[in-house]
Amino acid sequence: MFRLTFLLLIAAACRAQTNNPLGDDPKAAETGRWTFRILCAPCHGIHAEGGRGPDLTRGAYSAGDQDKDLYSAIARGIPGSEMPAYGDRLDADAVWRLVSYVRSLARHDAETVQGNAAAGESAFWGKGGCGRCHRVGSKGSGIGPDLTRAGRQRSLQYIKASVLTPDADITPGYGTVKVVLKDGKTISGIERSIDNFSVQLIDLNGRYFSFVREDVTSMAREPRSLMPSYEKVFTPGELDDLLAYLVSLRGNR
Amino acid sequence: MKLLILSVLAGSMALAQNDPASWTSYGKNSLGWRYSELDQINTKTVSKLAVQWMYQTNVPGKNETTPLVFDRMMFVTGPNNFAWALDALTGRLIWSYKSAPQGGLNLCCGAVNRGFAVKNSRLFKVNLDGTLLAMDATSGAVLWQTAMEDYKKGYTATAAPLMVKNLVVSGMAGAEFGTRGFIDAYDAETGKRVWRLYTVAGEGEPGGDTWSGETWKRGGASTWITGTYDPNTNLIFWGTGNPGPDLNGEVRPGDNLYACSVVAIDADTGKLKWHYQFTPHDVHDWDAVADPIPVDLTLNGNPVKALIQANRNGFFYVLDRTNGKLLNAKAYTKVTWADGIAPNGRPITISGQDPTEEGNRTCPGMGGGHNWQATAYSPQTGLYYFTSTERCMLFYKTTQEFIEGQWYQASTVGRNEPGGGRILALDPKTGSTAWQFDTISPPTGGMLATAGGLVFAGDAEGYLIAFDAKTGKVLWRFQAGGTIIAPPISYALDGRQYIAVAAGQTMVAFALPK
Repeated sequence: MFRLTFLLLIAAACRAQTNNPLGDDPKAAETGRWTFRILCAPCHGIHAEGGRGPDLTRGAYSAGDQDKDLYSAIARGIPGSEMPAYGDRLDADAVWRLVSYVRSLARHDAETVQGNAAAGESAFWGKGGCGRCHRVGSKGSGIGPDLTRAGRQRSLQYIKASVLTPDADITPGYGTVKVVLKDGKTISGIERSIDNFSVQLIDLNGRYFSFVREDVTSMAREPRSLMPSYEKVFTPGELDDLLAYLVSLRGNR
Repeated sequence: MKLLILSVLAGSMALAQNDPASWTSYGKNSLGWRYSELDQINTKTVSKLAVQWMYQTNVPGKNETTPLVFDRMMFVTGPNNFAWALDALTGRLIWSYKSAPQGGLNLCCGAVNRGFAVKNSRLFKVNLDGTLLAMDATSGAVLWQTAMEDYKKGYTATAAPLMVKNLVVSGMAGAEFGTRGFIDAYDAETGKRVWRLYTVAGEGEPGGDTWSGETWKRGGASTWITGTYDPNTNLIFWGTGNPGPDLNGEVRPGDNLYACSVVAIDADTGKLKWHYQFTPHDVHDWDAVADPIPVDLTLNGNPVKALIQANRNGFFYVLDRTNGKLLNAKAYTKVTWADGIAPNGRPITISGQDPTEEGNRTCPGMGGGHNWQATAYSPQTGLYYFTSTERCMLFYKTTQEFIEGQWYQASTVGRNEPGGGRILALDPKTGSTAWQFDTISPPTGGMLATAGGLVFAGDAEGYLIAFDAKTGKVLWRFQAGGTIIAPPISYALDGRQYIAVAAGQTMVAFALPK
């Protein structure tokens, strides 16, 4: 299987060319859509407007704007991001059909952010205190999701929803667990691991805990984020600034 | 220590269909009960259960195998066509088999295999490309190999074959690729096909009018989990998968027989004796492949020859196995698509539950309810044990043109909704839950019941768990270090009872300390 996968990847790489051999064939885009709904929609949304993964309808892509860049992103994944490689599951033709579909979506009317990124940066580290949990580059804390590449990884809509209603969609690996100890004390934190008999978590002070079911009164996942809503913390203007800053995070700081 | 029932007929154990010390069929006996008569490991002793050996296969992929044990050896199939014979006492490798899968196989759900069948020390297994092969148990040599269908057209195979007299009965997989499902029987000696039953009714055949145009040719109804055999009625019972394409039923108006059904087959002729369709015109991918279990029950004071199944559509069914008539049906999980099953056997459907372009939320989700994972029936407790995923899903559909050999699902489901699961003990007489164990993740493993008053199951996070079969109390657990997708088995050797299970890439065997 390893060898097979490897050969397919080589084959896919060799066949990769600069321009989509299927051109703007609407049939290719339609067949690409079928594959998209199965493999890509879970992160990019059923209409490719983004979610956990970036909005693909803006006509601008983080891994490069040429056909071959899109091909490579699909076939080989994007290292350091959550985008996996599909080269072992799709042949070159199927990847190109996906490229055709993604191209057919481009609206070229990217949502623009009103705010001031520099002011947003100050709000992020200052008033918001976001760095107590989040990291940007080498600054901040690793308790919450790393935001170094947030502008590449998440759509504007998604980032905005994350700031205002953090419970709406929780990044995998950052769920909340609550443990009630035998003495009644409660410990809530970010789930590092949980199974039917034990739990491992990190609290908001960065302390690591591990418990076995028999030793506690209860342990359970909670359907909420440990991050509070910032709706009432920031003024609308400050929120625009913050969003401008977050969208500007492209992994180059 | 309780008396351990032992067979001393070494060398002939393979002949015995249900020797307590060996495990010679996918479902333990041909009825698929997965009930071991061994009781050395029991509610009182299980807390001392300890690892005796492990065998690391070093082959990545999902391990869904039910190992066979006879003649002091354990026979294990693995992902990507691998297989191994291990010493059942020590776990040492005796022989191994490999056959690199072809490129271009159309596998919906991994390069998996679920086990061997055996007759007279001759092993039978399928390979991913839809071939069936016979192997010598002592050496692993391939004795014959038969292609059931053309893998280039989307046909594959993953299920353990079922031995019925001198026939090797095998299903196929590939309902996501526009195939036409079937169940085949081959002569164990020669590998020649004796009969085939198509699980999609063709044009002009009875049931053929439940498809439109040529859609039956790619109607799916795959047969990817091993069926059962009842010697008394000489019937084979086999569950069938979804109609194709999975999520858009507009191109195939009608009931789509015999998809999402159980078929009862005359074992000698391969003729269809009766069928029961759990989900007519399925559009949610609710395969009816879960173990169809023949068991004699008393329903409302009347003895009945029943066939029970926990179906993926969320209902638990009791059928009369002599004629396929519905005797009882009850939801065992949250169900939003039907208000129950009418006495005539048809679901009382709730409108507006079909997949849409924009997504329609329905319970249970695509995987059920209970999916394919092995179930167990204990004649000691009279309870039926199975797993259930507790999660609803958004179902999407799209129009999709059929291209031979290509993925033909006509859209997808949203999997972002969190969900867990349950391990259930159900009273088949009433359909009510005797006990349940809530799991943090959707369940992955299968079940084993034993005469020691125990039920064993593995979970997604790698625990093998022993429950009190009557109460559901957790009596023992072991973290095996890898997701358990396979069902545990039990066997005995030199006066000791073993429990064995595939966890991650490892076979693990447990016994009580000497």
